[in-house]
Amino acid sequence: MRKLLSVISFLVASSAAFAQGAHDFKLNEVYVYTPACCQGDSTKTCEQQASYVDEYGQPTSWIEIENISYSTHDIRNCFLTINPAVLDKNMSAPDREKLMSVIQAGDPRTTVGAKQRITFFADGNTNRGTLHLNFTLPVGEPFTLYLFDGNAVDLLDSVHVEAVPAGSSYARIDEDKWQVCEADKVTPNAPNITYSNDKIKEFKEKDPHGIAMTLMCMGVVFSCLILLFVFFHIFGWAMNRAAKLARVRAIRAIHEQASRVVEMAKQGTTETKGIDMETYTAVIGLALHEYFGGTHDLESGILTIQQTNTTWADKSHELRTLPQHFQAK
Amino acid sequence: MLLESVSTMDFIGTKFTDFLSYTGFANVEWANIVMIAVGAFFIWLAIKKDFEPLLLIPIGLGIILGNIPFKDAGLEIGLYEDNSVLNIFYQGVRQGWYPPLVFLGIGAMTDFSALIANPKLMLIGAAAQFGIFGAYMVALALGFEPNQAAGIAIIGGADGPTAIFLSSKLSPNLMGAIAVCAYSYMALVPVIQPGIMKLLTTKKQRQIKMKPARQVSQTEKMLFPIVGLLITTFIVPSGLPLLGMLFFGNLLKESTKTTRLAKTAGSALNDIVVMLLGLTVGCSTQASEFLTWNTIFIFIIGACAFVVATASGVIFVHIMNIFLPKDQKINPLIGNAGVSAVPMAARISQNEGLKADPHNFLLMHAMGPNVAGVIGSAVAAGVLLGFLS
Repeated sequence: MRKLLSVISFLVASSAAFAQGAHDFKLNEVYVYTPACCQGDSTKTCEQQASYVDEYGQPTSWIEIENISYSTHDIRNCFLTINPAVLDKNMSAPDREKLMSVIQAGDPRTTVGAKQRITFFADGNTNRGTLHLNFTLPVGEPFTLYLFDGNAVDLLDSVHVEAVPAGSSYARIDEDKWQVCEADKVTPNAPNITYSNDKIKEFKEKDPHGIAMTLMCMGVVFSCLILLFVFFHIFGWAMNRAAKLARVRAIRAIHEQASRVVEMAKQGTTETKGIDMETYTAVIGLALHEYFGGTHDLESGILTIQQTNTTWADKSHELRTLPQHFQAK
Repeated sequence: MLLESVSTMDFIGTKFTDFLSYTGFANVEWANIVMIAVGAFFIWLAIKKDFEPLLLIPIGLGIILGNIPFKDAGLEIGLYEDNSVLNIFYQGVRQGWYPPLVFLGIGAMTDFSALIANPKLMLIGAAAQFGIFGAYMVALALGFEPNQAAGIAIIGGADGPTAIFLSSKLSPNLMGAIAVCAYSYMALVPVIQPGIMKLLTTKKQRQIKMKPARQVSQTEKMLFPIVGLLITTFIVPSGLPLLGMLFFGNLLKESTKTTRLAKTAGSALNDIVVMLLGLTVGCSTQASEFLTWNTIFIFIIGACAFVVATASGVIFVHIMNIFLPKDQKINPLIGNAGVSAVPMAARISQNEGLKADPHNFLLMHAMGPNVAGVIGSAVAAGVLLGFLS
């Protein structure tokens, strides 16, 4: 049974880890190459557009995907497509796979580091390498781009791209916000320019004296320790109460035992296993005395040699008479 | 024959001159001498004055080691040189591996009973963290960037591993100075704190006798690291490396089933990490990196942080005493212990308490805010990391 549980836990943990890895990939930027723009045109936009080239030096459309997590993941075996037919839930996974472009395994470039990006070329030429997809992006038309997990069933991310002006890209600027980025803000394989996450700059501008930071941080520190205080205060009270109840129960049990013994002694039926009856009752009496305050673990911590006259120290109770010269003093 | 011997002599002469150019004497600068003197001073403090020898001896020797002048000839000997042995050890500081391991050891050695028995002492540990944020404001005023200011301010937590952890993440270029400053002031806690404590208390207040703490059950002790971990890391997940290891170490100790592991974490492992940590932190203070105006500012801010932390702990006890019944008053001398320099700060409370009343033993009471300070400073570091990283 234990082995079975261990295997199940391991499988659950593994699948969770796998799923977490794939879900950390997000579509980050989409760029549609417009060939017509560059034919005989020498504007800055077209020059820039011509500079976004694949490994073969060919200008082409591209899709950038970002690993948004802080750990390295591999995007191999995931699928990309712009075919909306894949959303049909009745379609089997193998049929879906046929409509999509798979990211081939076995290429180290598909391993994406923390907060890094990978760019795929939508040129319809998969024979050019792992980074090339089997479809192209439509020019001047809206389309929806889908990123599917390796099982071809789980949709990891999707984005609807309206017709983007030539030379511009459509980029994610925040968690779920996308916007058209003009030619000078197109950033293949680099963080999107408009996406700003500079916390330090923000604090510098909005909290130049550190007051807000102090209030927030001290609030959090106090919250943590107050919660711990409340928990252990209540828990300590409960434990004390439980201990007191246990003590009361123990005393009651001794009381009952003692009264039973006294009762039995009166009736002469007590079995003392050979121990003298008086000794037997004396032991129970002593136990009761200890419970009622004969024992204590908190001492005053004060040692003194100052003489106090109690019945134990009273001279008149001494057995030996002191010599005459002492008495005189 | 003669020509051969002449060329041999030339060869020897050239090589010997080369060799001399590699020696420390040929490459020494005044800054190296200053730093070596600082290292020697730390060792003297540790041996002669008994100021935290476990910290100051490795750091002191590390400072000397890091400032031995040599010619940068790719010999892979310097701390900042890739692949050198010291650089490999230094990665533990740079990447922040050592601080959580030290926290594991602290957790395995710490008895939280005093805190569990009297949970209100936790609040003193929280109040003393004002030192961190007081220092943060001072650092900002002196022109440091928020991330650098946070790295420097954590000195006020009086917790070396936390200071190293946070500064390695937020301001790695200042880490050497921050670490040395934090450890130096921790060693100087017996010099810094008593004056402030006396200044903020009357003799009568110093003589307050606190009730002995109640007996804490093993169940409570076992529950503390689990509940502590859940509460603190749910609120501040960025403090996970430190808090996780602290409570893990404590659970090893209190579970009563892993005594062997707790013993290793609290002794051998902790000693190894402290040695490497102290040595490499010391080494990181190469004169060229260390002798700057920033270092001086860091030491000034660090001093402010310690003063504010101590004062806020003591003042907070006064405030608490206003609301507490007469028989439950807290001796304000334990307020200083909230700064988390375990167990030095608690020892100071004890010593000052004994000076005011030879029958007043505050050590166990002071251990409460002291360990709460460890949690508080780790939480503060986590929050700063969360806000600024």
